[in-house]
Amino acid sequence: MTTTMRKWAAIPGLLALAAAAVVLSAYSGASSDEGRDIEQPLPFPHPVHVKTLAMNCMYCHFAAGKSPDPGLPAVATCMGCHITVGPKKPDGSARPGVATLQEFWKKGQPIPWVRIHKVPDYVQFPHMRHVNAGVSCQTCHGQVQDMQRVTQVASLNMGWCVQCHLGESNPPFKARYDCSTCHY
Amino acid sequence: MSPSKEPNGVTRSGGTRREFLKILGATTATTAAIGCSSDRVERLIPYLNHPDETVPGVSTYYATTCRECAVACGLIAETRDGRTIKLEGNPAHPLNRGALCARGQAALQGLYNPDRYRGPMLRRNNRLEPVTWDQALQTLSQKLGEVRSAGRAGDSVFINGSETGSFPAFLDQWLAGFGMPAHLSYDALADISVVAANRQSFGVSWPALRFSEAKLIVSVGADFLDGWGATVPQQLDFADARAKIEGAPRLVYIGSRRSLTGLNADEWIPCKPGSELAIVNALSGAAGASLDQAAQAAGVPAATLERLGREWADTRPSLMLSGVTTSDAMAVALAVNALNNAAGNVGVTIRPAEGISAFDTVSSPAEIAEALARMNDGRVPLLMVRNANPIFTLPRSGKFAEAIAKVAFKVSFSSYPDETSELCDLVLPDHHPLESWGDAQATTSVMSLQQPTMDPVFSTRATADVLITLAKGNQTTAAQYPAADYRSWLIGRYEGGASAFAKALETAVIDRAAPAVRPLRTLATVTAPTPLESQAGDFFLTVYPSAVLGDRGANKPWLQELPDPVSKICWQSWVEVHPTTAARLDVDPGELLTLESATGLKLTAPAYIYPGIRQDTVAMMFGQGHRSSRAGTDALTHRGYPEGTVLEGYGRYAAGVGVNPLDLLPAGFESASGALAWTSIKVRVTKEGGYQQLVTTEGSARQHGRGIGRALILTPTGLRDADAPEHEATPPVTAGDPPATHGAEAAAEAGVHHFPGDASHEFLPGLRAPVAQDAEGGLADTEANDKGMYDPKHSSGMANRRWAMTIDLARCTGCSACVTACYAENNIPTVGAAYQTKRAVVEPTPGGNIHRGREMAWLRLERYYEGGENGAYEFDTRFVPMLCQHCGNAPCEPVCPVYATYHSPDGLNVQVYNRCVGTRYCSNNCPYKVRYFNWFGYGEPNRPQYAWPEPLNWQLNPDVNVRGKGVMEKCTFCVQRIREAENRASLEHRAVQPDEFTVACAQACPSRAITFGDAASPDWAVSRQVNDRRAYHVFEELNTFTAVVYLKKVNHLAPGQTTAAPATEGAHGGGN
Repeated sequence: MTTTMRKWAAIPGLLALAAAAVVLSAYSGASSDEGRDIEQPLPFPHPVHVKTLAMNCMYCHFAAGKSPDPGLPAVATCMGCHITVGPKKPDGSARPGVATLQEFWKKGQPIPWVRIHKVPDYVQFPHMRHVNAGVSCQTCHGQVQDMQRVTQVASLNMGWCVQCHLGESNPPFKARYDCSTCHY
Repeated sequence: MSPSKEPNGVTRSGGTRREFLKILGATTATTAAIGCSSDRVERLIPYLNHPDETVPGVSTYYATTCRECAVACGLIAETRDGRTIKLEGNPAHPLNRGALCARGQAALQGLYNPDRYRGPMLRRNNRLEPVTWDQALQTLSQKLGEVRSAGRAGDSVFINGSETGSFPAFLDQWLAGFGMPAHLSYDALADISVVAANRQSFGVSWPALRFSEAKLIVSVGADFLDGWGATVPQQLDFADARAKIEGAPRLVYIGSRRSLTGLNADEWIPCKPGSELAIVNALSGAAGASLDQAAQAAGVPAATLERLGREWADTRPSLMLSGVTTSDAMAVALAVNALNNAAGNVGVTIRPAEGISAFDTVSSPAEIAEALARMNDGRVPLLMVRNANPIFTLPRSGKFAEAIAKVAFKVSFSSYPDETSELCDLVLPDHHPLESWGDAQATTSVMSLQQPTMDPVFSTRATADVLITLAKGNQTTAAQYPAADYRSWLIGRYEGGASAFAKALETAVIDRAAPAVRPLRTLATVTAPTPLESQAGDFFLTVYPSAVLGDRGANKPWLQELPDPVSKICWQSWVEVHPTTAARLDVDPGELLTLESATGLKLTAPAYIYPGIRQDTVAMMFGQGHRSSRAGTDALTHRGYPEGTVLEGYGRYAAGVGVNPLDLLPAGFESASGALAWTSIKVRVTKEGGYQQLVTTEGSARQHGRGIGRALILTPTGLRDADAPEHEATPPVTAGDPPATHGAEAAAEAGVHHFPGDASHEFLPGLRAPVAQDAEGGLADTEANDKGMYDPKHSSGMANRRWAMTIDLARCTGCSACVTACYAENNIPTVGAAYQTKRAVVEPTPGGNIHRGREMAWLRLERYYEGGENGAYEFDTRFVPMLCQHCGNAPCEPVCPVYATYHSPDGLNVQVYNRCVGTRYCSNNCPYKVRYFNWFGYGEPNRPQYAWPEPLNWQLNPDVNVRGKGVMEKCTFCVQRIREAENRASLEHRAVQPDEFTVACAQACPSRAITFGDAASPDWAVSRQVNDRRAYHVFEELNTFTAVVYLKKVNHLAPGQTTAAPATEGAHGGGN
């Protein structure tokens, strides 16, 4: 019985620590970069490309289905269209960013995009396994097709990953949840 | 305290501590998040134009040729996102057949060496200063013109690092165009006396050696497993020979010091240096060669030589090799060739028709010395040096640096600052071989192509392209060079043109007959050293080249950190002394010994007590002791040199490490072949006080009865346990015995003896490790259909695999290529560089961190001696590659308070770095001591311990995390390769195929000793190996159920011998 007594005695201490943790995490907002929203070197409107022009995600992020790395379009890929689709629309209104893009291309410089989605170095995230399992891009990246500027929607925390790997998502997926699946 | 378990398997108490830590952890993490801004901006840089046929995150593989030594093995270079990250052997190549040695692996650290020349340099105000390529080329063009118009072009000298293929002829053609004589082709490590003897005896420089055909191999000082000749092909074939067990050849080593080959020998005959010729003549029964006299000269019992003579006469086919480096080396080599010829070995174990071409173009060191002597006389107006460092590789007493200084204009094409290039007036840094086009003659019938595997790291230019540019700028030569560059020149000469060339590059191996051998020039003026016997001095000095470092490996941290396969010392030079001698001189390991030659040259290095050397001999390794002229700690700083800094010495990793034994030697050459006589003097050894702790990774050289490395003895009646005393000797295991698949008890029932530690059925498929069973019970809902991933019926199928490894000690030679392969694959930091030891009060010392036991080698090669305790020359050596055993019942797992290490369903002992809080309990509890702790932030650029100064970090494997400070790490069984294979299989909608992939150590192993795979499936090679009759677990008595199974080494007895003790008793030759 003494063991039980001691155990109970420890509870207030633990509660205090838990409360402190809650307060601190509330103060900090979140421990992840959820909601991260940073200005890019040029405004790339996903909605125009994805919805208006009906371009598939994998036109630009071409490796997402075959590589751990989804792939970033080369500047030449942008210029495939924007060599003719210039900074001004036929009606005279501006296509913001196209002039900057063409400037980069003329100077022979790549666009220094700011990374929004990042998992830590000790996490291996193979895009192709997820894409080929039928996980939509939006599941992790949010409704990018509606975002004028991409922000981080999901927390990308481990708990968030694991709930899906355990089959608790909707629609349910089921995958390995062993540590060594992702951590090495 | 283990958690109390309820009958239903739910863990109740004991979780409190974990809960507590969890809450504590959450709090600190939150505080940290407040402390630092999470708005750190990381950039994603796209391509401008995407290169065709590459996918980001997916590797591209290029076949090319290794140029780290003359042999020219085939390489497969793994390139990811434009950077070469790993080198492996090319399976299609006839020489190395997929294997690769440590030096080959480390070519990457040459490519990304932070001390490489950034661009061309020109001497101004007596300093080398950076210039543009235009300025540099204009300067050289002008000098070429001046020399020519002065009519002195014919006196110019071009020294090129010896290579085969198209370049030597291309270079000679270019030189002829400028009126200059043919180049000198220098290889400091080639055994020129053997090359000369082979040409005389067989008509080829280096015949293929077929160890697997032989029944008896006698090596007279030839370290054929480690640095002598074509090491990798020789090692592959020797391992195949020894793996035959019953029909395997016996290896006898004759020499003053046991090299790695000597340690692999079944018998060592410790002869005095210089007595080899007498022994070989006596064995051949030549007229006037008496066995007794030979035994007297060699300091070995006549009975031993007599027995060897009989064995040689009775055994067919056999193979004798000479690798002697004394001043009569060529005579020994010729005598050995004659013996082989008489024994009918030529065409059987020695195949001149399948010759290796590596040494076809080589010039002798004497020819280099002769050219340097001409420089000393002021007769040379222009010197050009490429890929060679004669100042470091020739004895200092020859005063070659002084000679070079007398040349009016000196040009270096070296990629790295070294002793020779820093004397030059103009440096035109060459591309690294992984950045350039070329080819090399591998064998007499096969050529190996070389292609760039990535864009150049620095502003360097391929020397061949520089030569073409210069020739184009000259009226008389321009017409000869229509090709734009060397690549076009090569394609222009390739039958079938560009498309056939591109096709050939897929394997980079083509059929092409070797050109005629370039003859060695016999020189009348060679200085031969005084015969050893007539010299004064207490001890013979044996100098041998380091197989790990070679003559140019000291600037590569992987090679510096790789313990010497024999001494297990790294980042240091040492003097090998026999234990009896050490006792007589009252020398302890690490005490400084001063060696003094008869001519008064002196050298000081710490003593290493080595049982494998004669009592009257001391030995030193060549490869360290590069001059570092950058004074003080400035040379040791790891931070990037400011733009335009003048680099001197041999870079930060070689700075201040060891001494060069060539500083003791006279510039004496063997008169017949022109080889440098490495073993040519006697020295006085004195202890002048002082101590330098040995930088060693070894705990003990003895097993203390632990049975880590085990051996069997092959007797006429079968295999017998080598370590069991005679009266308890276990019954022999014969080939007919059933494999030990039934465990100890079943084996006892069946009347089959079970060696303790033999692999038993508990290991095999069906085993669920106790922890795994526990996890299944503890984590899964036993009522549910889904019992978790430890259930073999789980949809993930993970528990159907049991990743496992076998290591065949009968094959393993201890060469340590696996160790470097592991460093390369797994982003293991090197910790021994002097700069990494920098603290406020501690002087930077090379290897300082290793003194404190901070090395990180996930895979280490342990070397144990059996026998020879009292200084006797007879002892057996066991090499044991030791890595995480991935125990089924791992002692590390239950002691981790945060569950950072656990057993995965597919049989891996996993270390989760992000869970690890660094208590180090696991390492404490690991019986194999294979866990390594990150005491410092080796991966953090701003720390003094940073292990990958730019651009070394370009090599890091993107599939493997760089571990942070305070985290435990260990062998993962290359889990990234397992997952990659699973990913690839999943993409192709299939299962992982048997032996579809392997781990980095097994891939590199030049003796094919390591097999990796799924032991739960009978289709993988590893599951056949685990049932071998020689299989055992290390420390099986601890019930660890390891996933690594060792196969016992097999020792071979001399005919008529019945016990392990070789017949050289009483051979304790006096200290002279």
